[in-house]
This record gives sequence, C-alpha cells and structure tokens, in this order.
Amino acid sequence: MNNTTHPVAPEEIMALLDGELSADERQNVTAHLEQCVECAAVRDEFLHTSEAMAQWTVPEPSPGLDRAIEAKVAEGSWMHGSWKPRVHAPGLRNWRPWAVAAAVVLVAVAVAFLASSARLEHKTRHVQFAEERMDERAPFRADGGSAPAPSPAQAGIAGAESAPLPAVAKDKVEAPGGVMGGHFAAPPPPPPAPAATALMIARTVALTIRVKDIAASRAALDGILALHHGYAASLTLNTPEDGPRSFQSSLRIPAPDLQVGLNALRRLGRVETETQSGEEVTQQHADLVARLTNARETEQRLRQLLAERTGKMQDVLDVEEKISETRGEIESMEAAQDLLEHRVAFATVDLQLQEEFKEQLGTGASVSVGTRLRNAFVAGLRNAGGSLLGLILFLEEVGPVLLIWIVILGGPALLVWRRYRRIHG
Amino acid sequence: MPGAGKYTWRLNSEIVNDPTQRENIGASSDEQLMSEFARGSADAFTALFCRYRTPICGFFRRRLAEPSQAEELAQEVFLALLRSAGRYEITASFRTYLYAIALRILRAHRRKTIFRAMFQGAAPPGYEPSERSGTESALMLREAVGKLDGIDREMVMLREYEELTYQEIAEVLQIPVNTVRSRLFRARRSLQELLALPVRGSAGTQLASAEEHP
Repeated sequence: MNNTTHPVAPEEIMALLDGELSADERQNVTAHLEQCVECAAVRDEFLHTSEAMAQWTVPEPSPGLDRAIEAKVAEGSWMHGSWKPRVHAPGLRNWRPWAVAAAVVLVAVAVAFLASSARLEHKTRHVQFAEERMDERAPFRADGGSAPAPSPAQAGIAGAESAPLPAVAKDKVEAPGGVMGGHFAAPPPPPPAPAATALMIARTVALTIRVKDIAASRAALDGILALHHGYAASLTLNTPEDGPRSFQSSLRIPAPDLQVGLNALRRLGRVETETQSGEEVTQQHADLVARLTNARETEQRLRQLLAERTGKMQDVLDVEEKISETRGEIESMEAAQDLLEHRVAFATVDLQLQEEFKEQLGTGASVSVGTRLRNAFVAGLRNAGGSLLGLILFLEEVGPVLLIWIVILGGPALLVWRRYRRIHG
Repeated sequence: MPGAGKYTWRLNSEIVNDPTQRENIGASSDEQLMSEFARGSADAFTALFCRYRTPICGFFRRRLAEPSQAEELAQEVFLALLRSAGRYEITASFRTYLYAIALRILRAHRRKTIFRAMFQGAAPPGYEPSERSGTESALMLREAVGKLDGIDREMVMLREYEELTYQEIAEVLQIPVNTVRSRLFRARRSLQELLALPVRGSAGTQLASAEEHP
C-alpha cells in the first residue's frame, strides 16, 4: 500500500471521502478504487472510522440556552462586556512569550539608555566646568606678568615684549653688576602707596566686571584712560551670536593715578573678581644701573686708551672691537632699565568686561537652516552612537549577572512550563 | 455598539422552535446573515443562532465533561458574537470565525481549570470525555479519541463533527492546509489502530488468564 504499487495515496482516498479533491483527482481516485481491492479496503476503514465516530451523538441543547441568550440580549449586558473576539484567537498562546521577551528587551534598553545618558550628562558637566575655569583664567593670561601666579620666565618675556618705552627719569644707583633675569621673586604684599624714591614696585591688577552694556562701558573706559593719562596696550572684543558679549583689555595707568583709576573702573559695573599684586624691583634696578655705570666707565677708558696710546694696527683694531662690544652691552642694559622703569611708572590693569546676556529673538537667523539641520543630524548620530555604546556597556556590565540568574531561574521555570504544557495538552 | 437600542434584539422563540420557519431563513449564506446582523437585523442573528446552536453546543459537549458547562460556554460564544457584530469583517468564512471564538473560549476554560487544579491540588483534567452514559462502542470511541495528541484530536473532531473543510480547519488552528491534510491522515490512522486495539488487548488478557488457569 504505497505509491510505488498504487497510483493513489491513502491520503488521497481520505481526501476523496472528505470531498477535498478536485474533479480530475476525484475521477482518478474513484476509477482506481473500483479496480483495486486494497485501496477499497482502505476506503472502507476510513468509512468505518467515520461511522464509529458518528455514533457519538449529543442531545439537542436545552431550551435554557435559548432563554439565556434571549435574556442576555434583552438586558443588553453584552454591550458593556470586555470581550474582544479575535479570529486569530488560537494563535494567542504563541505571542505571549514574545510579548514578555519584547517587554524585557524594552526595559533593558530603557535602563541602558538612562544609564548611558546619565553618564554622558556627567561627562558633559565636567567638561563644561573645565571650560568655565579656563575662561576665567583667560583674561589673566592675555598679557604677561599679570596672572595670579605666573611663571617668572613667561612673565618676564611677555612684559619685555609688550610695553612701549617712554623716557622716564633715571634713578642711578652705584652697585656692582649682575646679569638681567631671575628678578621675578614671589610677589610680596603690595604696600599701601607707591614709595617715591626708595622702593620701586611694579603693580599688576586683574579686574573682572559684569556690565549692562559693553558699548557704553567701553566709551566710559576711554574717558577714564584719557583722564588719568593711561593707554590700552591691547583690546579684544567678542560678540558671539547667541551669547553674552565680552571685552578684554590690558591697560597701562600711571602708578600715582592707579587707585583713582581703579575706583573709576569699578564703577563701570559689578566687580566679580579683583586681584592685585605688586613686585618689588628696587634691587634689580640697582643692579642694572650699577652694571650700566661700570660699562660706561669701561667704554670711557677704552676711548681714552684709543686716543692717547699708539701701537700696532692689530692692537688698535682690538680696542675698537672691545669698544663696540661694550657699546652693545650698554644699549641692551639701557633698554632693560627703561622697561623696568616703565613697569614701575605704569601699572598694568587687565580688565575683563562681561555683558549681562539678554536672549534676543532672531539671533540665530544668520545660521542657515541647512547647517542647523546638518548639525542636528550629526548630534543625533552622536547620540545614537552614545546610546548604542551605552547599551553595549550595560550588557557587558550586567550581562554575566543576568546569565547567572537565567541559569538559576531557568530550570524551575522550564519545569513549571513543561508541567503546564503537559497538563494542558 | 452604536444604534443598538433602535432595534429589537429579542429572539423570536417561534422561529427557534418552528422547524418550517427555520428552513425559511436558510436561504441566505452565513456571511450575508452576519452582515445583516452587523447592520442591526435581529432576525439575522436569530437565523444564525438557529443554525449554530446545536453544532456549537455539540462542540462543547464533546469536549467537556459537564453538559451544563458546555451550554454555558456555548452561550458565551453567542454573546461574543453579539458583541463583535460591529467589528466583523468578511475576511474569513463565518464558520471559521465562529469556531475560532469557540476554540478560544474552550482553551480559556481549560486553562482556568488547569490553573485551579494546580493550586488546589486536584487531579488536573486532561481531556474531558463527556457523558459517561451511552453505548459501549461510543465509550470506546471517546476513549480512543481522548488518546490522540491535542492538535490531532482537535483536527479529527473539527472534521468529523463540525464538518469543517481542510481550509477552515487550517484557519481555525492557524496551521498550513497541507499540514492539516497530512496530520489528519495520520490522526485517523492512529485512531483506527486505537479503535482496533482494545479488541486485541482483551484477547491478550484472555490468553494470559488461560495460561494462569489451565
């Protein structure tokens, strides 16, 4: 009874009896059944089974059902029922595990996302904080020699480069020479007023002031400088599109006028920070002057030598060379002395003005929509990457623990599920 | 269900109880009746109820031990039909739709019974053959059917008693038609064996007793 000996499969005989065959198939199978005794026997078996099954009859439903339906329909209770019929009801059992799994995954993703975003936020805050601190320091570094604790070398170089050299009265002190440099000791506390002759103090003040209007403040600043015969060594004005404007400048104010000038500056707005430092350069200046005097005397002697004595051409040339060398030294020392005296005569004021920020409509108009879209897209990509990374990190962190729990709880859960299925099936 | 109040939802008992009137409403198809019912025709529902009250009751009676429970569940099916009238769409045949609801209710009922059995310590009812009374061959048949695998049993019963086509069985049970045909074939084959087995079994017992008592 198989396909090799019979052109008709037993399954087809069953389908014939169930009326599930097409006309052609039906004809084929019927024709074969008439000839083949074996297949007819198969058909009889099926018929017999059906007959046997037909013996299982059930009585007609009781009138109670009709009445119950009638009553329910009449009272209208079905209208408020929570029943939701589905054609796919039998499939209900299949989606439940999926729904649970989806819920678990969702929760995991949500937790991972929260964790990662919290981490990102923390990081961002940290970075912002660092940037803020840098911002605070920036004005002090703009001009050398004025930072709260600058390195001596930096300060010296910057101070030497930036300041012009007006002629000032020289106060010469006889002292043995030394070399220039290394004159920036730790700043001593500034004396209450600059001493007239005995002490030479280079003053440095750093001011941060918050003002209402940068432009007005700047005009006022010019007035103050003119009044006290000061000048601005450098100016920087920042006007960002969507932030507060800021103004940085390095001012030079004659030392005697410093306190009066500072008072005027403080009135520009609210003083946020103020740092003052004074550096005593008396000794340094004395050294310089002494070396300068020595060098001048040496030059004088050499010139005398050249004028009074005669000798070989070679000797004359040697003396000439020595004179020019000494001359160079003298000029260099004179420059250093001028610089030092200028620093004493003019106090350095590093002023930073910050405007109170007022948000204005339409300030973002200059940034094109395309650019903003692109920026947002890039930010989105970065966020997506961050989230993905966060998820991976979360799985790495929690994954092993989860696995352990799955192993621990999986066994009992599987047993219960199998038991349920066995009973149910 | 909007507008439900406008119509008389009372069943016409006369129609239910009068065989000639039942024949009269047999002209339109189930799907037509369902569409009419969805539009608010109480007669259409009556017609559908008349057509299916016996099959649906039989469906549950053959699958549950308690006849009263069977009628209760049958009632639930028709109530579900009432509630879902507005949402009915002719995507599947009405019979598929109705038996899918019936099967769902049956499964929900079984699940509840198992759940209770698990927590109250009672023996979990496996398959519940109904009605202990009846002829001996009918009892044998019920036991044989009860021994079939869950899905196989469902397929054989849906085919033999509910007279669903292979296509309809496939839709109700959510399995491919080809699977229905091959599994149904196997199920019937094993049913044939199961029906033949008790005869052999009793013969074996007779032999054994003959050996014991020569």
